[in-house]
Amino acid sequence: MTSQLCHIERIIGDRAEPGLAHRLHHLAHEGRVETVTVAVADLPRRRFRAVTDQGTECAIALPRDTRLFDGAVLLLEDDRAIVVKVGEQEWLKLRPAEGFALELGYLAGNLHWRVRFADGHLLVAVDVPRERYLARIEEHLAAGRVTLVDG
Amino acid sequence: MSKGAARVGIGGPVGSGKTALLEALIPRLKARGVDLAVITNDLVTHEDAERLRRANLLDPSRVLAVEAGACPHTVIREDPTLNMEAADSLDRAFPGLQLILIESGGDNLASTFSLDLVDYWLFVIDVAGGDDIPRKRGPGILQCDLLVINKVDLHEHVGVDLPRMLEEAKAVRAGRPIVCTNCRKGDGVDQVADAICHAVLFQDA
Repeated sequence: MTSQLCHIERIIGDRAEPGLAHRLHHLAHEGRVETVTVAVADLPRRRFRAVTDQGTECAIALPRDTRLFDGAVLLLEDDRAIVVKVGEQEWLKLRPAEGFALELGYLAGNLHWRVRFADGHLLVAVDVPRERYLARIEEHLAAGRVTLVDG
Repeated sequence: MSKGAARVGIGGPVGSGKTALLEALIPRLKARGVDLAVITNDLVTHEDAERLRRANLLDPSRVLAVEAGACPHTVIREDPTLNMEAADSLDRAFPGLQLILIESGGDNLASTFSLDLVDYWLFVIDVAGGDDIPRKRGPGILQCDLLVINKVDLHEHVGVDLPRMLEEAKAVRAGRPIVCTNCRKGDGVDQVADAICHAVLFQDA
């Protein structure tokens, strides 16, 4: 099993770089560009196993100062390439009622949620099933102190 | 910068058996030829590091201690710089090093490791803490790469329904791996070593 592993120890570059893009374009025409999908929450990982969309098992061990990104080229051979695709990040968009923003911010920090702010809304990164986030603010949703926007 | 040794975190509540797991893991990993070192985290002492050094499981220079000085999760998640520096120093001191095990100080169920610090992490709970622990869905239990349920030999003595505890742990972890251990006797510890070797050393037994 180990002998079939594709060992990857560096990022060759960004698929958008002209030199790489040209070679990848040709390989893609022949269906030889494989994709490894990495969840946003897993991007900081330096060592992990992954399987490409074409079934190649990869053993990825990157230098500590390297960070994965969407479009990172991990392998580029004459007849094959492997490129990273970052999974989409889902966000919960929450609107606090007037006077409740501070408390909602405190709650999110206390629960160690990853958040962003936009137009008076709190965006919470969905790293575990969304029901688990909603369960934590159930009372506030019911009382109208927080509103879930867009679903 | 080189890729250095793989870094594996071991977290979990106070008294769940993190240090006992380390004591059981070290000889098993050494027997597999893994070149390893350990970093322990304590609140204001070097107690766990001293315990490991006294046990003579590793050369004392391969056991480093980090004093958290505050809530233990702050130095494995919010600002893991002290642990990263300790791990970097082990990489420099031992060029062939393959694995660094980083034991967190005892914490609560919300404790998690930053993936900037570790490549893979375990969360250790024990049956004596109560069979409702998995049901409480703490981030440590949900997000760890491997959940270890320790002291399974005690379940009858503390009135714990172990099969139910396991079923609930499986349900909240949506199929992610769980290992039952009795670290004092070594039961299940080989499975933990297998999981670490497979995941970050890319070695299978």
